[in-house]
Amino acid sequence: MRKVGIVLVAFGLFLGIGVGAQTIEKVVIGLSAPPRTMDPHGSDADSNLSIMSNIFEGLARRDVNGNLLPALAVSWERVDPYTWRFYLRKGVKFHNGNDFTWEDVAFTFERLKDPGVSEFLATGQLVKSVQPVDGDPWVIDIVTTRPVAWFVQNMHQIFIMDKESTEARSPGEVASYPIGTGPYKFVEWIRGDHLTLVANEDYWGGPPPVKKVVFKEIVDSFTRLAAIETGTVDIIQDIPLELFDRAKANPNLLIVTRPARRGMFLGMKQTPEYPMHDVRVRKAIYMAINVQELIDKVMFGHASPAAQIADPPTVGYNPEIKRLPYDPETAKKLLAEAGYPDGFSVTLKAPTDRYPRDEETAEAIAKQLAKIGIKVTVDAKPKAIYFPEVTHHDVELYYLGWFDGAYSAMRTFTKLVHSYDEEAGFGLFNAGDISDKLLDYLIEQSDTIVDPDLYVEWSQMTNRIAFEWKVVYIPLFYLEDSYAVYKPSGINFTPRPDTWMTIVDVIQP
Amino acid sequence: MHRGRVLRHFLRDPSAVTGAAILLLFVMGAILAPLIAPQNPYDLETLRLADSLKPPIWMEGGERPFLLGTDEQGRDILSTILYGCRTSLTVAFGVVLVAGTFGMVMGLLAGFYGGFIDAIVMRLADVFYSFSTTLMAILVLGLLKQKGVLVLILAISLTDWVRYARTLRGTVLAIKEEDYIDAARALGAPTHRLIFRHVLPNAVPPLLVVAAVDFGVVIMLEATLSFLGVGLPVTEPSLGMMISIGRKYVYAGKWWLIVFPGLALTAIVVGINLVADWLREEINPRIQKAVKGR
Amino acid sequence: MGAYIVRRLGQGLLVLLAVSFICFVIFQYMGDPAWALAGRYATPKQLELVRQKLGLDKPFYIQYIIFLKNAIRGNFGMSFVSRLPAMQVILERLPATFELAFMAMLLAVTFGVGLGVLVSVSPNSLFSRLIMAGSLIGISIPTFLTGILLIMIFAVELRWLPPFGRGEVIRIFGGWRSGLLTWDGFKHLILPAFTLSTYQLAVLLRLTRAGMMEVLGEEYIKTAWAKGLPPRSVLFKHALRNALIPVVTMIGLQFGELIAFSIVTETVFQWPGMGNLLLSAIFESDQPVIVSYITFVSLVILSLNLLVDLLYVFINPKIRYA
Repeated sequence: MRKVGIVLVAFGLFLGIGVGAQTIEKVVIGLSAPPRTMDPHGSDADSNLSIMSNIFEGLARRDVNGNLLPALAVSWERVDPYTWRFYLRKGVKFHNGNDFTWEDVAFTFERLKDPGVSEFLATGQLVKSVQPVDGDPWVIDIVTTRPVAWFVQNMHQIFIMDKESTEARSPGEVASYPIGTGPYKFVEWIRGDHLTLVANEDYWGGPPPVKKVVFKEIVDSFTRLAAIETGTVDIIQDIPLELFDRAKANPNLLIVTRPARRGMFLGMKQTPEYPMHDVRVRKAIYMAINVQELIDKVMFGHASPAAQIADPPTVGYNPEIKRLPYDPETAKKLLAEAGYPDGFSVTLKAPTDRYPRDEETAEAIAKQLAKIGIKVTVDAKPKAIYFPEVTHHDVELYYLGWFDGAYSAMRTFTKLVHSYDEEAGFGLFNAGDISDKLLDYLIEQSDTIVDPDLYVEWSQMTNRIAFEWKVVYIPLFYLEDSYAVYKPSGINFTPRPDTWMTIVDVIQP
Repeated sequence: MHRGRVLRHFLRDPSAVTGAAILLLFVMGAILAPLIAPQNPYDLETLRLADSLKPPIWMEGGERPFLLGTDEQGRDILSTILYGCRTSLTVAFGVVLVAGTFGMVMGLLAGFYGGFIDAIVMRLADVFYSFSTTLMAILVLGLLKQKGVLVLILAISLTDWVRYARTLRGTVLAIKEEDYIDAARALGAPTHRLIFRHVLPNAVPPLLVVAAVDFGVVIMLEATLSFLGVGLPVTEPSLGMMISIGRKYVYAGKWWLIVFPGLALTAIVVGINLVADWLREEINPRIQKAVKGR
Repeated sequence: MGAYIVRRLGQGLLVLLAVSFICFVIFQYMGDPAWALAGRYATPKQLELVRQKLGLDKPFYIQYIIFLKNAIRGNFGMSFVSRLPAMQVILERLPATFELAFMAMLLAVTFGVGLGVLVSVSPNSLFSRLIMAGSLIGISIPTFLTGILLIMIFAVELRWLPPFGRGEVIRIFGGWRSGLLTWDGFKHLILPAFTLSTYQLAVLLRLTRAGMMEVLGEEYIKTAWAKGLPPRSVLFKHALRNALIPVVTMIGLQFGELIAFSIVTETVFQWPGMGNLLLSAIFESDQPVIVSYITFVSLVILSLNLLVDLLYVFINPKIRYA
C-alpha cells in the first residue's frame, strides 16, 4: 500500500514537473510603494528593484533565504584583490530575441556610471574594466578600482541590459518598455494604476508557473487593505499597522510576517559644539527612550527591540550586546553630571514617507525626551528633502533605518561609523560626524583579515565597542515586514528578506 | 446705517442668530482653550503615549478626562479641537487682515489713479482669480520647505487680496461718478480726505460681506492644505490635520478621530456663512451675485 | 472680435511666462534633485557630476533660459523620478482627471441650476428650505471631508461602492483610456465625481436661486405670466436666460477651483490623475513634472476663460467686443 502511494506521488511529481500542470493563471499584487521607472538602473530603491527582478537578472541572484546563487553567471571567483572572474551562462536570450553576451555585461557596467540614467553611480565607479579572458567570450574579468571584498555580494541588484536595444532607443523609451532576460516579460505600465507582466515561456530556467502578474499601485494604506478584503488583489505588502487587528480578524486573509532586516536608530551630532559630544548625554538620551512603549503604542507591537543596527543574519551581529535599561532617573543624573541639569534644546529630523510610522515615532520620542528636560523640536519632512540633509550632515538628532545588502556589519560601519573621508569613501553616511580613533582603526583593520573566524570575532568586538561603550548610535527596534494573502486565491506565498516581489521565488503553485 | 435698526433686524433673523451663536461658541472656546481644555495637546511633556487611541468616554474603554477620546499620540480630542480652532481662527484672522489691508490699498490705487496702475492690478486680479487661491496656495506651499502659521497666512494672502481689491475698486469707481466728489475736488479737498471721508465709509459694507465670506473660505482652505500635508506641521494639529491623522483609522472603526473635528470644522464655517448671508441681505439684497465667488 | 482674441492670447502668453518664472524662483528653495538622481549612496563628487549633467550648477537665469528654449519645443525635461519626458507623464494622466472633472461639472451644473430654479419658484416650501440648508452645508464643508465621509458611509459601512481607484478602463483611441464605458469604471467614478461636485453644486445653486428670484420680480416676467404663457416657457426661456449670466461667469471662474479641488479629490480617492501625480511630484521634488503641470494647467485655465468670454456673446447678444 505504502509502496503504491510512493509510486503515485513520484508519478505525480513527474507529471507536475514534466507537463507543468501546476500553473496559476494570474496573480494580482497590491504594492505599497509603486515602481518609479522601468529602467533597471534608474532607481536603487528596493521597491523598484523588487519589480525589476522579475524582468531582469543580475550575474547572481538571491533566493528566498537571502543566499547568493548563480544567475547570468554560472560561477565566479576572486582571482586577485582587484579582479573578479565570472563564467557566463550560455544560450540565454533577451525578450526581444537578442542573445546575451559578455558585451551586454560590459555595456551595463559602463551605463551605471551615467548619472542621467543610473542611480548606481557608486558601483559603476568601482568598476575599472570588463574584459573577456584569453579571448573566451564566456569568461570575463571585472577589475575594480580598489579591493572590494563584497563586490559579488552586490551582483544580485545590478541588472544586465541588452546593449543593442538600449542604445537604439531613447532613454524615455528604455524607461517605459523594459527588455530583460528574466522570467517575466513586460506588457503594460499604466502609471499610477497598474503594471502587467506575462510569463516568459522561453526562460532559460523553464517557464514560470505563474502565467500573468498584475502589480496594482495602492499607496494609501487603508485603500490597500480594502482592496484585499474585497478580493480585488491576491496579495498586499505592508499591512498598515493601524489596521493590523482588523486584517487579522478577517477570515479571508492570511497574515504573513517576518522580522525585517532593517534596524531603526537615532543618530546624534557628536562634534564638540553639541551636548551629544559627551557620551553621558548620549547614554542619557538612550535611557530616556522607552523603546517598549514605542513598540507597543506607536508600532502597535509590530517591531522588536534592537541593541545594535545589524540584524541577526549579518556577519558581525553580536548577541551579547544588551540595550541600556529604560531609566529616566539615571538619565537625568547623567545629564546633570554632563553639565545639563535643565536639559537643552535640540531638533529631531525624520522622514514622513519612508518608514512605517516614521513621523509618529519621531513625535513620540520627542515626548519621551521632554520628560528628562530635553526640549525636542520635531522637523519631519518628505524623504526627498530629508535624505539630502542627512547626506550633507545637516542634522542634530535624526531618525534613520539601515540594513546591509551584503550582510556585513563592517561594511555598514564603513559608511555609518568611520570618520568622514570622501577620498577613501569612508563615513559617507556618518551624518553625526562621529570621529573615534579606536573605531576607525578597528574598521580599517577588518578589511585585511583573511581568516573568516577571526573576521567574525573582530566584527563582533567592534560592534560591541561601538554600541555599549561608545554609544555612537541609539538603536531602537527592528521593523517587521508584513503581507496579507487573500485565502480564496489559494496562493502559497513566502516573503523574501529583502521584501522583493520576485514572483518565481515568493509564489509557489 | 442705523445701529439700532441693524441689531433689530439681526435679532429677528433666527438663522443669523444661530450662526453668530455657533461662531461665538467656537471663538470663546478657542480663546479660553488654555483655561478650559483638559490638556494642552501641544505640550509634549504632559502627553502620554499610554493614553493613545482611547474612545469617547461613553464607549467601552473610554476614560476620564478624555470626553471625546484621544488620538494616536495620546492627545485629547476635545482639547485638540479647541487648540485647533485657535490655529484655524488665527490663520483666518491673519489672512483677512493681511490680504484685506493689501487688497484695499491696491483697490484704492487702482480705482483712484486708473491708467497703468489700474491695468496692472486688474490683470493680476484676473489671473489670480482664475487660478484660484486654493490652487496657488497648494503650489506655493508645496514648493516651499517651511511650514507654519505665518507662512500659511502669507501664502494664502498672496492671491487672496484680489477679492478685496476688486470690491474696493468697484466702490471707488462708483463714488467717483457721484457729483459731490467732483464738488469736493473742485473745492480743493486733498485726496486722503476724499478717501477717508467719502470712499471708505461707502466701501465698508461690501467689504464686510467679502471679509465674512473670505473668513469661512480661509478656514476651509487651511484645513484642506493641512490635510494635503502642505499646511501646518503635524506636531501642532489644526482641524484639517486632525482629520488627516484620523483618516488612517477610518477602517479600524475609530470614527471619533474624524467625526468630531469634522463636525467642529463644518459647524464653524456654517456659522460664518449664516452670518455672511444675513450681512449680505442686510447691506444690499442685490449685491449677492457680486461677492459670491472665491 | 479678432483683435480682442489676439489681445487676450497675448496676455495669456505673458501670464504663462510669469508663471514659469515664479516656478523657477521657488525651485531655488527646494530639495536637491541631484541627490534623487545620484542615489542614496552618492558622494558629494558624484552629486556634482549629476548637477553638471543636468545643468543644475549653472546660474539661475541660464537654467531658466534653457528651460524656456526647451519649453517652446514642448520639451519640459525628464521626470527625475520616472526618467520619462515630464509632459508625457502629465498628459497620460489627463484622461482620468478630465473624466472626473467633466462628470463633476456635469453634476454641478445640472443639479445646481436645476435645483436653483425649482427653489426659486417656491422659496418658502419645505423642499426649498431643505435644499437651501443642504446647500449651506455644501459650501461649508471642505472637499476632502466630504470625500472621507462618503467613503466611510458608502464604501466602508454599506460596501455599495468602491473606495478608491478608477476600476476597469478601456482604451478608446491613442492613449486615452476611459472608465466611463464599463460598469466597474462607472461605479468607481460615482463617489469622487460627487465629492468634487459638491461645492460647485452648492455655489451654482445659490447663485441661480438668487438670480432667478431677482429676475422673477421684474416687470417683463410678470407680463409673461399675465399673458398666460406656460410656466416652463416663462421659467426657462425668459427668466433663466437672464439669470444665467452670473452663473456662466461663475462656471468660467471656477475652473481653477475645480482643478485645485481635483487635487484634493484625487488624493482622497487614490484617483490616478494629474492632481495625484502633482502631489507625489511635490513630495519627491520632481521639478520637471511640477513645472509641466503648472504650465499645462495654466494653459487650460487661460483657454477656458477665453472660451467663457466668447460664450457670453451668445448668451447675451448685447455684449460686443470691440
